[in-house]
Amino acid sequence: MSIHTKTAIEAVKRSPFQAFSAIFVTSLTFFIASFVAVLVYASNQALNFFETRPQIIAFLKDSAKESDISGLKSKLERDIRIRDLKFVSKEEALNIYKEATADNPLLSELVNPSIFPASLEFSVVELDLASTVIEEVKKEPAVDQVGFTANLGSEKTLNDVVSRLKMVANYLRYGGLAFVLVLGMVSFVVLTVIITMRMIARRNEVEILSLIGAKPSFIRSPIMFEAIIYVVSGVFIGWVSSFIIWLYFAPSAIKYFGQIPILPKDPVMFFAMFLIILLGEIFLGLTMAFLGSLIAVNRVLKKLK
Amino acid sequence: MIIFKNVSKSFGLIKALTNVSFEVNKGEFVYLTGPSGSGKTTILKIIQREVLPDSGQVLFDNVDITQIPLHDIPTLRQNMGVVFQDFKVLMERTVSENVSVALAVLEVDEAEWAKRVEHVLKLVGLLKQKNMFPSQLSGGELQRVSLARALVINPKIILADEPTGNLDWKTADGIMDLLEKINKEGKTIIMATHHAGILKEYKHRIIHIENGKIIKN
Repeated sequence: MSIHTKTAIEAVKRSPFQAFSAIFVTSLTFFIASFVAVLVYASNQALNFFETRPQIIAFLKDSAKESDISGLKSKLERDIRIRDLKFVSKEEALNIYKEATADNPLLSELVNPSIFPASLEFSVVELDLASTVIEEVKKEPAVDQVGFTANLGSEKTLNDVVSRLKMVANYLRYGGLAFVLVLGMVSFVVLTVIITMRMIARRNEVEILSLIGAKPSFIRSPIMFEAIIYVVSGVFIGWVSSFIIWLYFAPSAIKYFGQIPILPKDPVMFFAMFLIILLGEIFLGLTMAFLGSLIAVNRVLKKLK
Repeated sequence: MIIFKNVSKSFGLIKALTNVSFEVNKGEFVYLTGPSGSGKTTILKIIQREVLPDSGQVLFDNVDITQIPLHDIPTLRQNMGVVFQDFKVLMERTVSENVSVALAVLEVDEAEWAKRVEHVLKLVGLLKQKNMFPSQLSGGELQRVSLARALVINPKIILADEPTGNLDWKTADGIMDLLEKINKEGKTIIMATHHAGILKEYKHRIIHIENGKIIKN
């Protein structure tokens, strides 16, 4: 163990209450930061789901000829505003209906394929383009009606859902960021104050080290190690707490949101997501420890001069 | 080795040194004597670049230390072993750690520490106390810790500021014997003292200062 690490560990042991305060505040900050990061991820996933799934269905007239349908399909494929174009035949539509009503076979027995129109399903690259595209597609001779994905209702409903989701995502993103920033500032100030107090308590030691030729980096090292101990402990405790809570709630959340992939269903991906959050937080924490100790040490060294 | 050329230093209205000039050669043992406040400690602090003179030149191994930049001060100090009147030991570290911290400052390979620390502790007679804390030691022992820390780095020069100031005669005698021994091994020593008994017992060159001026050299 290096002399600096040993000095830092001894300093932590000597003032357990100061160490507890620093670790507690940083734990709280990073617990909330981890929590908010997952919420932001989930809201982005939900938003992405609604923005990119096939939203528009153009129901084709029964009288439409095959050549008209393939002409319309090629035209839509060439349109850069449109993506994920798919042709659904009458038979396929019936199969979809049968799957959807599998729990009630009577319903599927009562219908025959002729009542289901063939359709072209597609999504738009940006939701704002939807109304223009719909108006254009409605004018096509082969098209009977145009609508949005059935379970979302009308064009207005989808826009409402997406804009509400966007609003929620933005609240989470900016509100969460502001909250984490405020907490981060509080942690930083607490850390700097504690490190300054430590430096003042070690004033004699700093003076002696300086007189025997210690470079500022030598004087700074144990203080920096001490700050790193506080921050890394805080990051780890905060991250583990948040991880446990999400681990507990993730199965229910995934089940509740059904096909909307708000959280990764694959456990490996779930751990990978948390690992990325941990790495980001360690980076932020180390930056905080480095800056905090630098400010504290420089302030005290300046006073000593 | 050390040359003072017309060095003056004031602290506000108080003139600590006025046109002080002297030379100390390699291997010499020189006493700085004079009453309290005469300027002895200021001279030692200038050599250490703890204090910057107002005018004049101070050469250490032909380098004017008044001109060296701030970031080079640690390197200058690493060539000097300093013994303080108030010992200046690290109270939360053992004797052995107090000595090895000087090696850590010099970035000496850690594998060498134990051997070098043991050697100097043996020299100053503190080997048995190596795991004790300063609070468990007497004044004389603390001064020997300070001396051991100064010696372990094998410095070019030893600066001692009233090293016997807080000690009884018998303990002071022990410290002087050690300094004599070290000087005989070729180390340059500049020691500030106003201990008349020591000056009589251990005869060396004396630079006598009064009111910031050299009276006798």
